[in-house]
Amino acid sequence: MCDIIWCKKEKGGKVCNTVNYLDPYCFWNWEGTTACAECGTVYYIHMIQGHMYAGPDEKPGHKPDMRPLYADKPLDGYSNYLPGIEGRTRPYNCLPRHIYLGKADMVKFSVRGRPVRGWRPQPPSAGVAGSFGFFWDIEKLSPEVWKEYQEKIAKGEVKDW
Amino acid sequence: MFEDDIKKLKVCDFDELPGPKSKEELDEMKAPFEDYCRKAFDVGNEFVKPDALKGIRWLSTTMYIFTPHSVANIAELGAECIKIEMPRMGDAMRHTSPFNEAYLYPLHDTRPMSGTGLGFTNANVNKYFVTLDYHVPEAKKLYYNLVRQSDGLTECYRHGTFDRWKQGYRDLMEINPRFIYVWGGGFGYGPKIFGGSYDILGQAHAGLSSVTGAHEDFGGHSTKATNWVIDWYSGTQITVCMLAALHYRRKTGLGTMIEFSQVQAATRCLGYTVPLYGKFGIVRQRWGNWDTQLCVHGIIMTGKTDFPDAENPQDKFETRYVMVSAFQDADFKELCNIIKKPDLFSSYKTHKERVGAPAQMEIYAAIEKWAANKSRAEVVRILKEHGLLAAPVMNDREVYECDHYRQRGTVRWNDDPLFGDVVCQSAYSAGLMSKTPRRHKWQWRPVGADNVKIYHELLGVPMSKINEMYNKGII
Repeated sequence: MCDIIWCKKEKGGKVCNTVNYLDPYCFWNWEGTTACAECGTVYYIHMIQGHMYAGPDEKPGHKPDMRPLYADKPLDGYSNYLPGIEGRTRPYNCLPRHIYLGKADMVKFSVRGRPVRGWRPQPPSAGVAGSFGFFWDIEKLSPEVWKEYQEKIAKGEVKDW
Repeated sequence: MFEDDIKKLKVCDFDELPGPKSKEELDEMKAPFEDYCRKAFDVGNEFVKPDALKGIRWLSTTMYIFTPHSVANIAELGAECIKIEMPRMGDAMRHTSPFNEAYLYPLHDTRPMSGTGLGFTNANVNKYFVTLDYHVPEAKKLYYNLVRQSDGLTECYRHGTFDRWKQGYRDLMEINPRFIYVWGGGFGYGPKIFGGSYDILGQAHAGLSSVTGAHEDFGGHSTKATNWVIDWYSGTQITVCMLAALHYRRKTGLGTMIEFSQVQAATRCLGYTVPLYGKFGIVRQRWGNWDTQLCVHGIIMTGKTDFPDAENPQDKFETRYVMVSAFQDADFKELCNIIKKPDLFSSYKTHKERVGAPAQMEIYAAIEKWAANKSRAEVVRILKEHGLLAAPVMNDREVYECDHYRQRGTVRWNDDPLFGDVVCQSAYSAGLMSKTPRRHKWQWRPVGADNVKIYHELLGVPMSKINEMYNKGII
């Protein structure tokens, strides 16, 4: 896959937030101007081997040489990219996870509400030569998660299944 | 024989044969046996029973799914399995799938920001994890000492690598003649000896993909069966070899070398495909969700999904497939009546007539046309009410919520000693045993988590030496 242009142009007080996919067939080794599919902002780009070597730099007033093959708005739930379009992968129909908004989605509790050691960084607890004790004492090693767990129990959010 | 003797012979009286004589009697007999099974297998209390393979120690110098799974099988049955990994790094599978934070932390104390991906699940259950860099002479000594005290080893390096490193079967049988040695890899010796393997390569090279998926005439393509089935399958086949080798060793006192090619194992799943070619010169085709031998016996698509308002696309769009089976004449007739196409039965009265491709095309199209305005649940309910075999094609969530699986303990929550609350199937998906059940003790452990337990407590290496080797990166 080639690089993308995530258009952050503000128009009418709203950020465009359109992801323009620069398909490898056209853009793999390419220099010129292209335009955002949503707001039409013209960008100069120079791609070498699928990587953005220079740009994207705005070129107001220029005419785009070529437009991206397709684009979408992931923060709005991939609205242009519908299921059942032949030849394309099945899209996400759910809203983007926090990871796309710059915040990793660290899981601390399983779907039934009990603590699972799935977040980072973890407190070091290795002994000699990386060996680990057999039991993870959550109350001692991750007191904040333990506290949250107690609150969950009190609220009745901890289930058997 | 004389006539009198013939008269003396007892005529078979069906009423005297064991077994139920009526439906009521069948129901009466069934309930106590079900109770007996519930008591015998006692799901949830596996840990009070003995381990089948207690006393067996097995080394596992394996990566990814295929070979690790062969050892996980015996680890679930109670063998003490020691997995040897690269220091600080571990099995490559820890770092692969699935991405996007589906990890359990920590990986190792030196890498607090790394975890082990859930793709590691089921292939490494109940193992102990040590690290060792074989390239160092000091490490070799530890390795040989482990071999002296173990029953066998499974490895997955390129063919002949361990032999070149003086740690293959030919060297190990000299220090431990009872040693059972498994090499599991892509092709094994032969013209393609240097080929490595992945599950998908096994499926492709064995011809399994060529008969999987819909025919091109129906818009399908050669397809791989999902989720590395050949890795899981061939790993289990290795375990069968290992158990047979253990039995042979009980009788003779001798070890065995097992050389297991994944592409070779995958050909076994092809069943009649190979002899079909041998006898008739027919190259088998893909038939997708239909069956070449039975009709109706396939998966159909209904018009509506069961959960149109769900957020998750797997629920919202995909819950619309039904497995249906009605290949006996009476069943097929019933099916034709249900879909209001009695003429279909008139056209294809015998199974031989309806199993041909043109007939199947017509029959399945008619069923799907009938199901076009119905949901998956409706179709299943109607077919079942008429005594036909039908089942919804379920997704993950439905498997998790399925009461049948819960009652049998197939899917269950495990309070993992290190990783907390983890739902698992692993040991509990591979058959129930009344006396020595499989069990899931832990999901996996961090890289080198058992270095002290194995090197110090088992081999007697002094702690100072362990520290020294750790600092040098040997372990």
